[in-house]
Amino acid sequence: MITIIQEHLPQLLTGLLNTVFSSLIALIGSLILGTIFALFEISPNRLLRFIGKAYVEVFRNIPLLVIVLIFYIVIPMYIIKINGFMAGSIGLTIYTSAFIAEVIKAGILSIGKGQMEAARSNGMSYLQSMWHVVLPQAFKVVIPPLGNQFINLVKNSSILAFVAGADLMYQANSIASTTFQTNQTYLIVGLLYLILTMPLSYYMRHLEKKITN
Amino acid sequence: MSLISFKNVGKSYGEFKALKDINLDINQGQIVSIIGPSGSGKSTLLRTMNGLEEINEGQLIVDDHDLSNPKVDINKLRKDVGMVFQHFNLYANKTILENITLAPRIVLKENTKQAEQNAMKLLEMVGLKDQANKYPSQLSGGQQQRIAIARSLAMKPKAILFDEPTSALDPEMIGDVLNVMKEVAGQDMTMVVVTHEMGFAREVGDRIIFMDSGQILEDSNDPKAFFKKPKEPRAQQFLSKVIGH
Repeated sequence: MITIIQEHLPQLLTGLLNTVFSSLIALIGSLILGTIFALFEISPNRLLRFIGKAYVEVFRNIPLLVIVLIFYIVIPMYIIKINGFMAGSIGLTIYTSAFIAEVIKAGILSIGKGQMEAARSNGMSYLQSMWHVVLPQAFKVVIPPLGNQFINLVKNSSILAFVAGADLMYQANSIASTTFQTNQTYLIVGLLYLILTMPLSYYMRHLEKKITN
Repeated sequence: MSLISFKNVGKSYGEFKALKDINLDINQGQIVSIIGPSGSGKSTLLRTMNGLEEINEGQLIVDDHDLSNPKVDINKLRKDVGMVFQHFNLYANKTILENITLAPRIVLKENTKQAEQNAMKLLEMVGLKDQANKYPSQLSGGQQQRIAIARSLAMKPKAILFDEPTSALDPEMIGDVLNVMKEVAGQDMTMVVVTHEMGFAREVGDRIIFMDSGQILEDSNDPKAFFKKPKEPRAQQFLSKVIGH
């Protein structure tokens, strides 16, 4: 096990870095997209509501791999060339955003209608009221389920291995197939994923405690 | 000239008619109390005045904004018409000071310093200057309601609508809130108050509107005479039950 780490350290580190990088892109992207589509879903406008619902239903009911392959194969064929890393990260962002939209929607709906009415009566527009009053409270409520989504996201980033995204899983496959040390390689990679997800999990719990106090 | 003007206004929820043929003109500076039994449409009537409820029939003009026109810029109207709710509805994620300064900063584009100075003056007026940095959940109901009034005043409105402002309060807290309302009434503010506080309606109000089943049954410009003996039998019956014990 030590020898694998010693001999393939640069490769493992590159993989780890790509996994972190891809996860960060998807985390920020899916939070933004998820919030936008959550707002669509509860919008007073019927068309926006339809778009929001359609987006969530389509993307959360298609396997992540299919979404990623669409960006890896179909989009480059007709629209724009993107590499495996970007295709994987975009696919991951869109897939995760559908779940995050549902989480944030639930958070917004849990905030009493009086908060919006008070803000509107105070002269603020719908979006100003959302941004300054309702959303900050909704985010507080959904920190625990949001944490789950983020942890899933980091683990799901291993999908990049399928599209040559050079992530941790991709490097693991490559090391395993050259050294034939399959067990040990995947054990190391499993531990590396834990190193990423455990602090995240801990941090979300910390955030939850800090905010509820 | 009237600030708020209803002409043959109706409002229904499906089959249910919440407001029927409302005709009402409220002048600048008037203190109007709306009283009546539960479910009589008092709160609905009040909430149409700043567009929280849409009307289905007739014409409603508030401060020159035609609320019967779906294209009306409702945000512009709400800058000038504040509202105080039964359950206070202070912004739970903001401190007391931020509750008061948020809308003036965002809507009136006041700078933070100016908004805070104004807020501190209002806090002094409602007697809660020392609570500025607390959060709403740390305050009692009566304190929260006084903050809610200060929050409305910070927008320098022409009128404030009060939707049962003391109904959710402990009896002990009611007096403090009513005192603040009296002070506001003394500043020549137009106030429309849905209330069960008959004392306030009689002493402070200029005018009583008595409602039942979505209609205005009695409209009196002499609250003291109204409370002595209302003209409508339904109002007499209501008052005897409310005041009798």
